[in-house]
Amino acid sequence: MRALSLLLLVLALVGNTQADESGYLDVGVVVFDPGIPEDESTHSALEIFPRIREAEAQYLPVTLRRELVDSGEWGVVRVVPEAGPLSELTVEARMLESSGIRQRIQFTVRDATGRLWLSSQYALEFSDTAITASGIEEPYRNMYQQVAADLLSFRRGLDARSLSEIRQVALMRYAYSLSPEAFADYLATDATGRYQLQRLPAQGDSMIERVKRIRNQEYLFIDNVDEQYGELHDDMASTYRLWLQYDREQSLYSEDYEVRAASRDKQGPRGSFSAMQQSYNAYRNFRIQEQDLDELALGFNNELEPTIVETSGRVFRLTGTLDSQYTEWRGILREIFAIETGFPVNSSATKNFSDPNE
Amino acid sequence: MFITQTLRLACCLLPVMALIACSTTEPPLLRERTSAAVDFSGAWEVDFSQSENIRDSFDALLRELQRQVERQNRGMKQGGGSLSVNANSGASLYALARMAEVVTEPQLLNISQSMTDVTVKREGSFALDCEFHPGQLDRRDSPLGRELCGWDDHQLVFQLYLPDGLSVYHRMTLDPGGDRLHIATTLRSDQVSWPFNVDRVYRRYDPNSGGIRCKQTLSKGKVCTTERAPR
Repeated sequence: MRALSLLLLVLALVGNTQADESGYLDVGVVVFDPGIPEDESTHSALEIFPRIREAEAQYLPVTLRRELVDSGEWGVVRVVPEAGPLSELTVEARMLESSGIRQRIQFTVRDATGRLWLSSQYALEFSDTAITASGIEEPYRNMYQQVAADLLSFRRGLDARSLSEIRQVALMRYAYSLSPEAFADYLATDATGRYQLQRLPAQGDSMIERVKRIRNQEYLFIDNVDEQYGELHDDMASTYRLWLQYDREQSLYSEDYEVRAASRDKQGPRGSFSAMQQSYNAYRNFRIQEQDLDELALGFNNELEPTIVETSGRVFRLTGTLDSQYTEWRGILREIFAIETGFPVNSSATKNFSDPNE
Repeated sequence: MFITQTLRLACCLLPVMALIACSTTEPPLLRERTSAAVDFSGAWEVDFSQSENIRDSFDALLRELQRQVERQNRGMKQGGGSLSVNANSGASLYALARMAEVVTEPQLLNISQSMTDVTVKREGSFALDCEFHPGQLDRRDSPLGRELCGWDDHQLVFQLYLPDGLSVYHRMTLDPGGDRLHIATTLRSDQVSWPFNVDRVYRRYDPNSGGIRCKQTLSKGKVCTTERAPR
């Protein structure tokens, strides 16, 4: 028995080593774009409750992150407040529709070299199987599982060399973000805008070792941010699922009521009290149903606002600290670079390799 | 209910009095304003001492119709014209008055207003809500009815058109002191040539005067507290 356990452990370690070599990429899932139109007059027609959308935009990335983590096929998966040079693979998403009827989201995924992995809309109808006797499960979970599966499928299509290149480019882009003067020559972009390595630092290069140490520091910050999003997700989960369930019930009832009321037999001749009362009551009930949803949305906001505000505050403080740390580290790196090489400290950079969208 | 023997008698007489040909006041045209002219925010309750009741409104309309019939009769004697009589108008007018009672039933209002929208929550009925869009009226269409709203100078007007020829207008006016809200409600039916008007006056009240503050939550419903609101 003990020998079997030992064998399994060895196999697991060998498997992990092989996976590392074949490309466990670190993934950054950026907080979703809530997709709220600036024109407020469109919100009612599109059935968008802005504050709920904003909360969902912080909640749903964690749902995807957990699917990626559960697959066991990726490196560290983090939810990050914004895209940056830290991730080897960056997932961005824009919410197009989200209600108790369906969810539709545009996903765009690129690796650090700028290679587009995925740019597709995913949509899923609310699954009634999500409603169980003990409550409501994550109703759109299958959609996130599909995204995770598609990412894995794409990754499996890449050879070990490509995956290695992604990791190296990610590191050099991060290095460039810290010290453009020292690392500008390591990267270039080709005609399609993809990053290509021009050369690699020598083994044991002291500058790159410093970059790795700083990156580890940044990982610690981002892990803390990620943890906050995870806590928000857990705090929100039951209320959010309840909201989806109510939203679904209200929408289905309203649709049904509208059809039934419009086709109902008239109770009296035109102009009679009973005919007018029927007409007015039908409209009144229809509007009350609609407005009940507004009340529920208000209830959602009242219930979760303190949590969301608290999380946003903590994330803001963390990223604020991160920014100042960045500035400090960059300053130190540049000074070290100037001392070691004798080059003047130059803060201007001709290309911004640290910008994921450049 | 305002149903009385008197009204029943009046209704019997109305078919004779009601005139199809008489002029009908057209609904006011809403102007397209871009922002809130007056702030109606607050909690309001009906001030019965200053409000019209349906009976008074109905009596006033009867008197007006009587005068109209007399004028018409004089005109006919002096040379011409014919009197159009709609046999259903009396019953329809009475029905309209009863509908006015239904429509103006809410006694408590809670109004929240921002630079971009207003919501008039009415106890026991649906809320009147209106978004202020630059250069256009707010409209809401459905198979069950159409709502329009917007500013008419310093007054806020809501118009509701229902499929069977019934329309309801609410014209909200804040008095200069800001402590009285006037809502003139007008009902029209395409079966009656006269609109029916009811003016209600509301005064401010403090819904938290009992020391209890409530807020709606999703999972726990309405949650109330006796704690003071944070200042």
